[in-house]
Amino acid sequence: MLNILVCVKQVPDVNLVKIDPVTGSLIRKGVPAILNPLDANALEAAVRVKERVGGTVTVITMGPDQAEEALRECLAAGADRAVLLSDRAFANADTLATSYVIVTAARLLGEFDLIFCGKESLDGATGQMASQLAERFDASQLSSVLSLPEIDEEDKTVTAERELAGGVETAQALMPCLMTVEKANYRPRIPNLKSWKASRRAEILRYNSATIPGLDPAQIGDPGSPTKVPRTYPPEKGAGGEMIRTGSAAKDVEALLGRIADKL
Amino acid sequence: MNKAEYKDMWVYIEHDGTEIRKVSLELLCEARKLCDAAGEKLAAVLVGELPESEVQKILECGAEKLIRVSGAGLERFSVDAYTELFTQLCRKYKPSAVLVGGTIDGRDFAPRFACRLPTGCTSDATQLVYDPKTGDIEFIEPAVGGKMMAVITVPFVRPQVGTIRPGTFKYVPGGARGCETIEERFDFPIEKIRTRALSFRADEYDESLNIADAEVIVCVGNGLKGADALPRYRELAVLLGGKLGCTRPVFDRGVLPYKLVIGQSGVVVKPKLYLAFGVSGAVNHVTGITDSDTIVAVNRDPEAAIFGYCTYGIVGDMDEVCDAMIAQLKARA
Repeated sequence: MLNILVCVKQVPDVNLVKIDPVTGSLIRKGVPAILNPLDANALEAAVRVKERVGGTVTVITMGPDQAEEALRECLAAGADRAVLLSDRAFANADTLATSYVIVTAARLLGEFDLIFCGKESLDGATGQMASQLAERFDASQLSSVLSLPEIDEEDKTVTAERELAGGVETAQALMPCLMTVEKANYRPRIPNLKSWKASRRAEILRYNSATIPGLDPAQIGDPGSPTKVPRTYPPEKGAGGEMIRTGSAAKDVEALLGRIADKL
Repeated sequence: MNKAEYKDMWVYIEHDGTEIRKVSLELLCEARKLCDAAGEKLAAVLVGELPESEVQKILECGAEKLIRVSGAGLERFSVDAYTELFTQLCRKYKPSAVLVGGTIDGRDFAPRFACRLPTGCTSDATQLVYDPKTGDIEFIEPAVGGKMMAVITVPFVRPQVGTIRPGTFKYVPGGARGCETIEERFDFPIEKIRTRALSFRADEYDESLNIADAEVIVCVGNGLKGADALPRYRELAVLLGGKLGCTRPVFDRGVLPYKLVIGQSGVVVKPKLYLAFGVSGAVNHVTGITDSDTIVAVNRDPEAAIFGYCTYGIVGDMDEVCDAMIAQLKARA
């Protein structure tokens, strides 16, 4: 029986995020929060492994209360239990502080044989979480896993195909193993109505900084984050080129082709 | 932590035993500028054997120290061995910064040794600026899908670790400066390496997916109505003797493969002619096309950021403009 963990994140749909032209800050209002798309692939891999060899899938996230919605989505798609780590003290955490909270809390739930993560989040997109989670779990690490992993419970190994530059590598790792998933050669399932309804009623395990024993306040949130973001600003607009405006597409194209004739 | 104890900026030299990965040389050249600004020394960390002609390239980038590491367990890259190696080296030599190419291996082990030390790690900066007031490097990177730029620093801890994507900086060697070689022996117990490669299957070569050196590129952005609208762009690319590419959201939608993604998280291109259809101009994408000779942008939104970067711009329906272009090119032929 494998104990499988999937680490997920709720993210704003960045394609819909706008920037306030005056302050340069993000306008999150009205932007839907979604389960990070690559995390859905990671969950699917975990659930399929469970269905094949047996085990339980736990899904964990750190975030505000509304991140519960992303967890329920995971429950509907086959996760067995869900854990929400939520506390104001966790805010402004970088990957080092976030991985610390997640792994400290996850250890309360048992020892995990397999850990799955999406390769990166849509919003932060540092792609660093997986390596730092693996470090804190003291797990082996296989990134860019393309296929469903083969598990050998006796040898405690996992074998999977990884997508590298220019080809596909078959690699083997000792468990516990953390795998990151980007694109996959399988598709995440669409939950049926019954599992969707069940996920609405399911209980979510909740932890905060006071209920995770031994959590070091110096290692969480802003104090625990060695990277800082002193400022942000809107990208510089380019100086711009010549706009061709003749009033019709055909004439615009004609004018354009004249200007780029030497390139054709 | 006393930051003043931490000196020298390091670049990890990634190589395959015969050749250095270009990103490592790019980072050497960029770190050279940072070192000049900071009054620090540039050091290259080389693990394993490499032909002298390749080592010479490191020196030509102005490295003042070459840390050559040899030992058991390092013959092939593994996250386990290289994480421990860099943890130990950083503790011993106390560099102020460690820059690592944002390759698959680099992105696997750099955040991990940063966590073990522990220190801060940044990824995918597109600019590096040394701030003389604080002595910190500003890692400036596009955030939130390129809608804003974020300045990231590691103000209280050292070293400052960063992974940087290939193609972000230019490989322009500034000349050798005289370099001290430091031999370092490090053995990692082979039984502690928990991963191994069993086999490798090279991709079948598909010329249409090799866009890095294309002279003409037709790029479709998120304005693309769907896969149904795609054939006209393929046709235009063929007519122009070029190749089709796309922006990240088009890949996210499952319309085109990842190898065709142009920009920071994909391929950096430098064609003579770059035609962007329905591309908004997010900075993640724009960083991948700035070396193009001529950029043509077609977008329905006159305020689209891409018009700020183009040579010529047309406001209009992308499909309509593409069709007109095909018709006129065919009429000329």
